[in-house]
Amino acid sequence: MSNEQKQWSSKSIGSNWQHQIFYILIRSGGKQLAYLLLFFVVLYYVLFRPSVRNRSSYYLKRRFPGRNSLFMLWDSYLLSLGIGLTLVDRAILGISGVENLDVSLEGREILVNLLAEGRGLILVTAHVGCWQLAMSSLSALDTEVNLLIHREEGDLDRHFFEHAGEKPPYRIIDPAGYLGGALEMLQVLKNGKLLCIMGDRVMGAEGSTISVDFLGAPVKLPFSPYKLASATGAPLAVIFPYRTDSGGYALKVAKIIRVPENLGRSANGYLPFAREFVTALEQFVTEHPYQFYNFYNMWEKTD
Amino acid sequence: MNTIEKLKKILVTDLNLEELTPEEIDDNAPLFGEGLGLDSLDAVELVVLVQKYFGIEIKDMEEGRTAFQSVSALAAYIDARLAAA
Repeated sequence: MSNEQKQWSSKSIGSNWQHQIFYILIRSGGKQLAYLLLFFVVLYYVLFRPSVRNRSSYYLKRRFPGRNSLFMLWDSYLLSLGIGLTLVDRAILGISGVENLDVSLEGREILVNLLAEGRGLILVTAHVGCWQLAMSSLSALDTEVNLLIHREEGDLDRHFFEHAGEKPPYRIIDPAGYLGGALEMLQVLKNGKLLCIMGDRVMGAEGSTISVDFLGAPVKLPFSPYKLASATGAPLAVIFPYRTDSGGYALKVAKIIRVPENLGRSANGYLPFAREFVTALEQFVTEHPYQFYNFYNMWEKTD
Repeated sequence: MNTIEKLKKILVTDLNLEELTPEEIDDNAPLFGEGLGLDSLDAVELVVLVQKYFGIEIKDMEEGRTAFQSVSALAAYIDARLAAA
């Protein structure tokens, strides 16, 4: 992937010792203390770190056009608090175990039936809610879960299983690997397994993007999920994990997409399916406006 | 038409390499990156095309990795699989 294309970063705000404070609190005092500290930490960052407000503003200006600066500040706080909560919850999951969080999978039967077709299953999700918690709930499907994900050097966030010193409950396919992991992904589907791809960020190959309107303006999104579906005949499910009002997590099957086989090489053939994904994503951010975590200008560079 | 020639024709027509003719494709040029300039998603397409035209399913991606080095490597892989069938 070219540096020109990659505008996002998986690196976290805050230093290692700041993360450690939260981990110590969770280990010693339970999650409530960590939540309490989080409210103040987020307030500090939003008030005194303009870069935090700036990174939030790209999405918030699209989601809430016309907001005045005071409301924007409040929106920025809620959005930052949202991701802070997911990071704390992710640490809780790893340190205290899944029994300390209410995680549910809505639409399990739908996914089981799609898997039963025997052509593999592509799950397309986005940087919403806490996808790692969602991955943990996929264990209910009793199949191998494969995830296309890139992790940067220097990323301080730990994946939840790392807190407990465990092996990942899913197999990671690195988009920086040979041919962007395309052959590995293809093999996963040919073996009838589960493949999860982030549909809202470009992580794969150069040039494998398509321009789609999201919240009123074009963004470049990967079309690899739809191409893989076309090449293999695998069904595709759009899933979104989200934090519930009660502080638990749910994974929702938002849409099933069937991509015709042999659509070929041209990106335009996959446009209708990328649009279906975006429509589902827009519906999600309408319902959960503070659970969309792309803190960069995804609208910036388009044709 | 031998396997290499057939592959070149498939590459030009099915992968829409309109700027090239089959004769211009170097047998040993890398398929991806600087050679033919194919990208990773083209690899997906190529797996499908090999199955479509030669009836060979590349299931073992380690084999695919070796075969996708060049047109001649892919042709050799196909010929070997056909001979073993």
